[in-house]
Amino acid sequence: MHTSPTSPQTTRKRRSGRLLVLSALSAGVLLAACSSSSSSSTTTTSGGSSTTTAADPYLAADLNAPAASLNGAGSTFVQPFFKAAFNAYEAKNQNVQINYQGVGSGAGVTAFQQGTVNFAASDVPMGTADLAKVPAASGPVVQVPDILGGVAVAYNVTGVKTGLKLDAVTLAGIFDGTIKNWNASQIVALNPGVTLPSAAIVPEVRSDGSGTTYIFSDYLTTAAGSSWALGKGKTIAWPPSAEATKGNAGVAQSISTTPDSIGYIELGYAIQNHFTYAAVKNQAGLYVVPTLASVAADAAQKGPVTPTDFSIVYQPGAASYPIAGYSWAILLQKQTNQTAGSATVKVLDWTTHTGGGQDLAASLDYVALPPSVQSYVRTQLLTVTGPNGQALLTKS
Amino acid sequence: MNQELGTTGTGGARRRPLLALPNTGYKVLLAAAAALFAALVLWFLVAMVSKSRPAFSSLGVSFVWGRTWDPNTNQYGLLPFILGTLETTVIAMLLAVPIGLGCALSLGYLVHRRVKTVLSTAVELLAAVPSVVYGLWGLIVIAPYMRTDIEPFLSSVFGWTGLFNGPDGGVGILLAGVILFIMVLPTMVAISRDVLVAVPHDQVEGAMALGATRGQVFRKVVLPGARTGLFGAFSLATGRALGETVAVALVIGNSNYIAHSIKSGGGTLASLIVNNFGEASGTELAVLFAAGLVLLVIVAAVNIIARRLVRRTARSGATSVAVA
Amino acid sequence: MTALLDAPPDPILARRAEIRQIAAASVKRRRVSSAITLGVCQAFLVIALVPLVAVIAYVVAKGLPAWNSAFFTETTATDGVKNAIIGTVVIGAIATVVAIPFGLAAGLFLAESDGRVAGTVRFVADVMTGVPSITIGIFGYIAIVSTTKQYSGFAGAFAIGMIMLPVIMRAGETAFRGVPPTLNEAGLALGARKATIARRVVLPSALPGIITGVLLAVARGLGETAPLLLTILGSDFVHWNPTKPMNALPLVIYNNTNQPDPSVVQIAWGAALLLMAVVLVLNIGSRVTAAVLQKEKR
Repeated sequence: MHTSPTSPQTTRKRRSGRLLVLSALSAGVLLAACSSSSSSSTTTTSGGSSTTTAADPYLAADLNAPAASLNGAGSTFVQPFFKAAFNAYEAKNQNVQINYQGVGSGAGVTAFQQGTVNFAASDVPMGTADLAKVPAASGPVVQVPDILGGVAVAYNVTGVKTGLKLDAVTLAGIFDGTIKNWNASQIVALNPGVTLPSAAIVPEVRSDGSGTTYIFSDYLTTAAGSSWALGKGKTIAWPPSAEATKGNAGVAQSISTTPDSIGYIELGYAIQNHFTYAAVKNQAGLYVVPTLASVAADAAQKGPVTPTDFSIVYQPGAASYPIAGYSWAILLQKQTNQTAGSATVKVLDWTTHTGGGQDLAASLDYVALPPSVQSYVRTQLLTVTGPNGQALLTKS
Repeated sequence: MNQELGTTGTGGARRRPLLALPNTGYKVLLAAAAALFAALVLWFLVAMVSKSRPAFSSLGVSFVWGRTWDPNTNQYGLLPFILGTLETTVIAMLLAVPIGLGCALSLGYLVHRRVKTVLSTAVELLAAVPSVVYGLWGLIVIAPYMRTDIEPFLSSVFGWTGLFNGPDGGVGILLAGVILFIMVLPTMVAISRDVLVAVPHDQVEGAMALGATRGQVFRKVVLPGARTGLFGAFSLATGRALGETVAVALVIGNSNYIAHSIKSGGGTLASLIVNNFGEASGTELAVLFAAGLVLLVIVAAVNIIARRLVRRTARSGATSVAVA
Repeated sequence: MTALLDAPPDPILARRAEIRQIAAASVKRRRVSSAITLGVCQAFLVIALVPLVAVIAYVVAKGLPAWNSAFFTETTATDGVKNAIIGTVVIGAIATVVAIPFGLAAGLFLAESDGRVAGTVRFVADVMTGVPSITIGIFGYIAIVSTTKQYSGFAGAFAIGMIMLPVIMRAGETAFRGVPPTLNEAGLALGARKATIARRVVLPSALPGIITGVLLAVARGLGETAPLLLTILGSDFVHWNPTKPMNALPLVIYNNTNQPDPSVVQIAWGAALLLMAVVLVLNIGSRVTAAVLQKEKR
């Protein structure tokens, strides 16, 4: 191609043009960087989420909490998320220090009942029995969801890739010991093109009480009906053929070192450690693989949850992944210390809203709270008052 | 010797050395330390008993030997875990006592001095490995070997005993026992070694002068002479095996049923507590405290039995010096 | 002469020959059995070395890659364990400084007395070594955290101290009892006070055994997780204040091995290796110091 030599004028125009574009781009980048230091590009909340912080009038005030040192304890499930969120908060507000330890939901609730922590975290909200143990003088308890997670059904069978189709009745049979081999008719029927070995199935389950077990057994109870007789709870009386290991990591290790095994683990484990996991049948009859999006879809179908109505397993909707659940943060409604109470409620508010801690969820393989649930959290947190009876959450 | 033993009344120019207590002061100080320890333990026991009381008041005593553990139906039987505790500890100590003693004898009397220092340090280093690391190592590295090689081999050789029924699971009571053995080995070896070496040299030399072979010296002089110290090593090691928590919870398969073979999964009282404490409340929490008390009773019983055995062998004739 | 040859064999000579035969057979038998005993002992040494080498090699293999500059300079908020190292040092120091004199004094009490009281205390110490660490942790929570309404390094040190104490007591007693009674009697004969004998005679003589016991207790104490889980709460901040929540290496291991991200798990292995290295240094350091001290005494 023949190009004519550029005249000095053209070169000057081109240079200044490039300069203009360059400075516009840089300004845009700077603007984006300054507006929020946490990445907001990968939130997968369904239904029009806003990614600008200007829309939420409370967030800026949340960052202006008074100097305080806060302690929280409870769920191990939520610990990685809290750690990242609290570190991000502390980076923006150097006056507040937050210590959180995943001692287990029950131990966290016990600590809360005894007043040794500012807030607790539990995979299952406190029920009537637990609430009764909170001293009457402390007043009512506020419980709000803080993050959303999914439970993957992972397996280790040679030659079987991710996406093995399983439904609730089959899963119930596998985990209560009635379906004993991989090439059982029920599994084969669901997966016509897949070669399944005749080996015995080794179910891998949790030995310690856990919210993950609760969500999984809740799903089986809801979706498998009479086929599942072992109930729902943080601990289940698994059959003798099941191997139980402590912790999500333990179950994950067991699955990866035991051939022909199948178990339930938090979604994060399945994704980050490249497990093969099942496509589970949802209420709409479709087989869905657990992803951040499919978990979010399931949660969005349920909408707002309360401490007495919190199950979100097996929701309608074509895109829903049926095995999911919230984790909950717990604090006293009547805070007795102005600075600590103000800091507690502001930190929790920042952590549970888009533009704040929720923006970190996706990078850690958690799912952000849907907007309807975030509104519920906001309403609840607005009821938290200080010693003088005034609401602690403020607008900026 | 440059240093003099302080005497009760020397010239005035010498300063009173530190801790130059009169004999009564000395005795009182020591007794106070022991008393303070006893008080701490008493406080501990009182706390445990008061926290476990709700379990006994709502379930009676029978849950201690109940066979079924199912919190969802309010059944809190501890028998599977009591049996699991005993089984894993027996396996661990059956391995640890002979191997530990053999190792200690070798380190004390048979190996070159330099080798001895290096190996002793290495063995003591094992004591520093955290419990969770042992558990993970056992789960990731040893369990697969158990399943593919060791358990089938043991089943073929010892299957007639009826202890090796059922499938080869890898994790289970056997693996837990083996991991416990490795965990208590440093204690057994290190303390035994020091105790065996502390047997008076004149007795050892005397026996050799009488024509005893080294093996005889070991069997007739060193081991009997170190008996009470070896009991101390044994009881520290057994204590650790009985109370080990996280490592066991990772490798024992955590079946809440009574194990039918040592290859199957099981549970111990300690692993039961560590598995359920984080999420338990109400009656279950109180039962876990009760499980801790039951474990204390087991430790006490094992101790008493072992001590009787030690005293009996002492009395029944093996004296300090006896040669063929 | 034929009379001599025909005489019945000398019973003494016959008996001597018989004894010689028995002795030779006995020596042969005893040598064989001794060789077997020694062989078994050495075989057991080799058997014991196998898991030893395997575990240490595994921890080194998984932990060494984690040892980079970030590991030591950053806090647990990012990719490091600096605050956990400080926490382990502070909590370990408090627990050790309290438990060692306390435990040795009680151990000396047990060594000097065979009475009923001492027997009961000894028995109690033995039983306490069998208490699961989680139970000690719960006790630490009940005793300190519940009452002070505060998670703290002190609560953790209390729990760790309770784990170390019976071990130091019993190991110390065993070491003290290993001191030849003649030394003790010589001191008494020279008119020395008991305290002086204990300090100048018994303690130095029992020092190697004491160090073994103390090292075992400290190694265990530094590596225990469950007592810390319920007492120190964890923290991402660098500070040396034991009245506030702290972090510690075993806690980092426990938390991190429970997380999905492989890079986070690797930090846990790095922390485990660090714990082993610390104990190794303590081990070598204390033995060298003891040897130096004992040389000076001669």
